Amino acid sequence: MNPSGSNPKVQQAWFSLLKSRTAGLACFTTLILVWMSLWNPTFLAWSNLRDIAVAAAPVCIISCGLMLVLVLGEIDISVGSMMGVLAAAMGAMASASRWHLPPGVAMVGTLILGVFIGAINGWLVAYLKVPSIMVTLGMLTALRGVTEVIMGGQWITDLPPELRSLGTGTWLGIPICLWVTAAVVLISLWLIHRSTLGRRIYAIGSHPKAARLAGLPIARTQCLVFAWTGFLTAVATLVSVPQLSVVDAGIGVGMELLVVTCVVVGGTAVSGGIGNLSGVLLGALLMTMISTVLIFMKLGENATYWSRAIQGLFILGAILLEPWTRSRKKP
Amino acid sequence: MSLLVAQQIHHSYGGTQALCDVSLEIEPGEWHALCGENGAGKSTLIKIISGVEPPDQGSVTLDGNPLPMGRIHAVEQAGVVAVHQEPVVFPHLSTIDNVFVGREPGRLGGLWLDRDRMARGARQVMHQLGEDLPLEQPVGELSLAQRQMVSIARALLNDCRILILDEPTASLSARETQSLFRAIKQLQAQGVGILYVSHRLEEIFQMADRVTVLRDGRMVGTHSIASIQRSDLIQMMVGRPLDASSAARPLPREEQAPALLEVQGLSRAGVFDHIDFAIQSGEILGLSGLVGAGRTEIARAIFGLDPIDTGSITMDGQPMPEGFQIHDAMDRGMALVPEDRQRQGLILPESVEDNLTLPSLKAFSKFLGLDRDSRGKAAHGLIQRMGIKTAKPSSPAQSLSGGNQQKIVLGKWVYRQPRLFLLDEPTRGVDIGAKEEVHRMIRTLARSGSAILLISSDMPEILQLSDRILVLCQGRIRGEVTGSQATAEQLLEWALPPERPDAA
Repeated sequence: MNPSGSNPKVQQAWFSLLKSRTAGLACFTTLILVWMSLWNPTFLAWSNLRDIAVAAAPVCIISCGLMLVLVLGEIDISVGSMMGVLAAAMGAMASASRWHLPPGVAMVGTLILGVFIGAINGWLVAYLKVPSIMVTLGMLTALRGVTEVIMGGQWITDLPPELRSLGTGTWLGIPICLWVTAAVVLISLWLIHRSTLGRRIYAIGSHPKAARLAGLPIARTQCLVFAWTGFLTAVATLVSVPQLSVVDAGIGVGMELLVVTCVVVGGTAVSGGIGNLSGVLLGALLMTMISTVLIFMKLGENATYWSRAIQGLFILGAILLEPWTRSRKKP
Repeated sequence: MSLLVAQQIHHSYGGTQALCDVSLEIEPGEWHALCGENGAGKSTLIKIISGVEPPDQGSVTLDGNPLPMGRIHAVEQAGVVAVHQEPVVFPHLSTIDNVFVGREPGRLGGLWLDRDRMARGARQVMHQLGEDLPLEQPVGELSLAQRQMVSIARALLNDCRILILDEPTASLSARETQSLFRAIKQLQAQGVGILYVSHRLEEIFQMADRVTVLRDGRMVGTHSIASIQRSDLIQMMVGRPLDASSAARPLPREEQAPALLEVQGLSRAGVFDHIDFAIQSGEILGLSGLVGAGRTEIARAIFGLDPIDTGSITMDGQPMPEGFQIHDAMDRGMALVPEDRQRQGLILPESVEDNLTLPSLKAFSKFLGLDRDSRGKAAHGLIQRMGIKTAKPSSPAQSLSGGNQQKIVLGKWVYRQPRLFLLDEPTRGVDIGAKEEVHRMIRTLARSGSAILLISSDMPEILQLSDRILVLCQGRIRGEVTGSQATAEQLLEWALPPERPDAA
């Protein structure tokens, strides 16, 4: 009995599966899970797995947007600072000691602000033709400054319970942030596979010159994708920041690096045209899990430092692996 | 009334006048050819008509209605569709996605792609073209000819009134060309006007109704094809009678001279099979055959770019070591000039000088740096010697015309004085004048003692230049003939696959 050896087609399928980035990530993630559960069975406890998923949720949500930015052949490193400014704005709008707006208005205001900041990024890239790395580097610094201005050196500790429940509440026993993540993933799947916009994003990233000759609306698409990333960053802020009891000026620091790592580890090409959502989601899950693993290993303070180092290694590893996995590049 | 009328088009890039007072009319169902040397303004005119760029002056009307100038998408929707010279395809997308991108069919107001309809439509248009392409594979994995077909299919899928084709057959084999012509004729019968650019004059005389000739951005004239001769057309294009003696080639040849390159039993599964041949110094060996017959792959294998399964390659009496690399081949005096010059032969954004000296950088290095003076001198010498028309050595290669780009690709190897040139389609997409120059250069190289393996799909070219011609068919050598005895008919017969080899 040799089911895989006899049929060349089956063999080929196995081979391509081995080469596929997604399969590799899935194996690696499973390996860590098995290893951790042998080492410390409480790792597999429902509450711990849920904590990992909840921690991964905002990363997954932003990654869905950033992946499309990379597929377009651009980059956005301002998402971390954007998260900071959105958290500060949300807090300031909702806090009783500040503007004291109704929680619903604060939510909608945060989303609109996210779209607005993203659209500014997109506008600078698309119409003023500034390289996206420069635009978003400027944004990264500027938004962090704005965050500090809004916070005014103070913390916001009195988020209204309605907002808090966005972060901590559950529906049918599952945290609300996971429901939101699921919704974002579904919308992204539709966008990538079944929408004309998605086809255009891949086409433009694949060969910008051909896209121009095909009459595709390049500038509008760029604007839309950056704005969409801003929107998703606002969504991620809404479901993750209220988990904390305190909003401070340091929220989202380093988030851009984490998200870029997840997207690149997930097999998205930095040069555009290639990107696969399942890979990116697995990347996000893996990166979050590694931080948890480090905590479990009781490295104490060191855990944060190690997680940075590991993040960097993953990015380099992912880029080095690129040539071998490139043949699996269908979106 | 004419279907499409372009009137008094003026256009300039920077200070250079690219088009000056050019007018053109296309009737419904007409096959209108556009001729001229590279740099004559054909591409610019096409760009303007198809909406890639708005003209400085002038107008284009379709059915009497002005076209929205400079807006590709709107022009396409009005029914004017262009297939550009370099295939415009998206390498990471499948064939299906490629032919539909920009006008995908959707349900629910475009919110939900109708993938079934896309697959059906793609299959149908490929059938119309007589092509059997993998529809789901990323297009980047297809051959150049197949990519060109995808690009054409994309245009056919549009309900077009005017179809513009810029050298669509440059990378196509004879069979693919015929399928394309069949598809175009169908459109013609439906009243679609065709604007057709090609350097293959036999195609123009075979298919076109009228021809418009441009020279240096100006109109030379529009003529009915029946009223002119081939030589008239060439003369209108170049503005001078062609050197009639260029075809003659005296060739004193020593029969017993030792071979410079000897290839024995070269095989690679599914690509080529038991290839044997030898080239002497000073000989031009033509390698003919259809696109996909394995010609390019053989050249790449000899140069160490592709692996081989079995067989030996002997250069100068010494076998190449197993698994040798490109630099071994270069050290032994080989040079490969690839077919796809835009992607493999040139670094487009880099300067002419950088491109010319790239393979010989070692010669210009000194301790920790580059000897810029001697490099500049060498580049200057090559520019003169190859007759490269460039504003200055530091201009980017992409600013040059196709013919001049091709001269750079040849020139960068000439400096190393290789003894064996592997030339893959050296004049693809090059205008008549530049072609003559490239031919002259190839002869000079051979006369000065280099051996040349010439791969070409251009029948007259291979017949004119080669001392000996090998014809490849499906990876095997089907025939060999000396240059003086070869006829186009014989070469084509060998190149076409025998009917049903397995039946009988």
